[in-house]
Order: sequence, then C-alpha cells, then structure tokens
Amino acid sequence: MKIIKGRKVILSIVSLILGFMVAFSYNLTKQKQREAAIVNQTWDREYELRKQLIEQEKVNRKLSEELRKKQAQVTNIEKDLSQEKESLFKLAEEAEKYRMFLGKIKVRGPGLSVTLSDGTAAKVDDNINDYLVHEQHVFKVINELYISGAEAVAVNGQRLNHDSYIVCNGPVITVDGQQYPAPFVITAIGNTNVLEASLNLAGGVKDQLVNENIIFTILKQNEVEMEPIFSS
Amino acid sequence: MWLPIFGLLIGIALGLLTDIKISSEYANYLSIAILAALDTLVGGIRAHLQNIYDEKVFVTGFFFNIILAASLAFLGVHLGVDLYLAAVFAFGVRLFQNIAVIRRIILTKWSLFKEKAEKN
Repeated sequence: MKIIKGRKVILSIVSLILGFMVAFSYNLTKQKQREAAIVNQTWDREYELRKQLIEQEKVNRKLSEELRKKQAQVTNIEKDLSQEKESLFKLAEEAEKYRMFLGKIKVRGPGLSVTLSDGTAAKVDDNINDYLVHEQHVFKVINELYISGAEAVAVNGQRLNHDSYIVCNGPVITVDGQQYPAPFVITAIGNTNVLEASLNLAGGVKDQLVNENIIFTILKQNEVEMEPIFSS
Repeated sequence: MWLPIFGLLIGIALGLLTDIKISSEYANYLSIAILAALDTLVGGIRAHLQNIYDEKVFVTGFFFNIILAASLAFLGVHLGVDLYLAAVFAFGVRLFQNIAVIRRIILTKWSLFKEKAEKN
C-alpha cells in the first residue's frame, strides 16, 4: 500500500510536470502566432500603404508632366499674343502712315512753299493770258514736287490726294470743288533740300515758269502743317 | 488512480496561468522536451502493459530524456547544425512504435476478454 502510494505520488509529479510543460508550450506558441499575425498585419498594411503611395506618386508625376505641358502651351500662347500685339502695333503704325499719305489726318513736318503769282504785263498790247498762272503751271509744280519725293502737297491750304482734280476756271482754279484765286501757294512736306534742288534745276520747272512770265518764289519752312481733307 | 490525473490537471492549469515570457529561441527546446516527456510516458505505459515496468527507469528516463533532448537542441543551435531534428526523429519513431505495441497488446487483451465472455 505504501509502495503504491509512493508510486502514485511520483506518477502525479511526472504528470504535473508534463501538463505544465504542454500547457506552457501551447500558451507560448499561441502568443508567438499572435505576434506573427500582428507582424503580418503590419506588413500587409505597410505594403498596402506603400502601394498607394507609389500609385499616388505615379499620378503626381503624370499630373506634373501635364502641368508642364500646359505651362508650355500657356507660354506659347503668350508669345503668340505678344507677337500679335507687336504686329498689331506695327499695323497701327502703318495705318497711321497710310492715313497720313491719304490725308485723313493732320500732318506736320519740314517742307517748303512755292508761290505762283500772275506776272505783270510789260506792254499794253500783250496778251494778258500770257501772264496769268494756268493750271498746267500748277500741275508742273505739283508733279515735280511729287516726283522729288514730297509726302504731302497742298494748294492754298487744300490738301491733294490721289483723286484730286484741278481745273482752270477763268481767273481762279478749282481744286476739288473749292475755288482759289491767284496767287497760288503750293506747300509740300518732304526733304526740303531735295525738293528745292529739283525745282531749281537748270531748264527745270522754275526756269520754264519764269520764262512764261510767272513770279515764282520758293520759301523753305521748318514746319509745315496741313489740315486733313474733308470729304466733299 | 485519480491522483496522477489530478496532477495533470493542476499542471495544465499552472501552465495556462503562468505569464512568464521566454524568448522564442528557448521555445524550441521546450517543444523538444515535451516530445521527450511524451515518449517516456508512452514507453512507461507500454512497459506497464508488458509487466516490465520499473519505477526508477521510468522516472530517471523521464527527466533524463527531457534534459538530454533540450541540451541536444541547445548544442545544435550553437554548432549551427539542426540537431533537434535528430531528437525529433528518434522520439517520433519511438513514440509511434510504442503506441503500436500498446495497441496490439490492448487488442489481444480485448479479444481474450471477448472469448472469455462468449465461453461463459
């Protein structure tokens, strides 16, 4: 009986140790698994976030590229606009110039004025017509001025344009419907020296007109102003 | 009869309730030790059924096997060789063999018991 009891005690101690070890190991393994699961979860989460980040960065890169393209477009458009503005400005300048030539606006510049007056008859029986200023005289002066590069020409303050007409009408001439008596003052804007030299050529306009008994005076002016043409 | 089972239950309860933390590399040794303990236990049961049970052999075998298995695993870790596999293999084979023997003994005993019952 005693021996059996001792046996049982020893056996129970053995089984106690076995139970303890098994339970402890079970506990430990479970804990480890939980930790591993947590690690796994964090790893998964990190992976997910990383993937998202990469995706986001990809999108960002694409967007920034697009932005760059758009900016380049904007720059191009701005450049175009500035060029357009420049060309418009040039066009405006040109238009201004052409308006000046057309006589649509007031012009001012260095020039000269030529005065043609009727000559005085030397003898009583001379034909008075030989002493009067005729339209062809005015034409000659005007043509010479234009040929020499005059930029604007006016007769008695009436500016001439491309379709002006000058008609001799007795003692007066009609310029575009306006009548003007002698003396006729033809003003021109342009290079003063050139204009004067061309009028004074030997055998030129001045000599011819003087030969036809017309009093011809040239006056150089620093500044000639011409009013715009009013359409009649 | 009831005392060993009671001891087992107390052991399990203690194991579940203790909150000692040991590093994971020692958990391996513990597993090997459990395997050794199980092997010895089954071996003891077999010896008991074959009527060659010796208390001293059983008790010393129980503790000695545990310590040997744990130290073998320890040595393996430090030598860089997975020596615990040797322990697992040896104990696993013996465990199966012992269980097979136990099953046969029980089977023969049961058939003998059945024959006796039919005769009666």
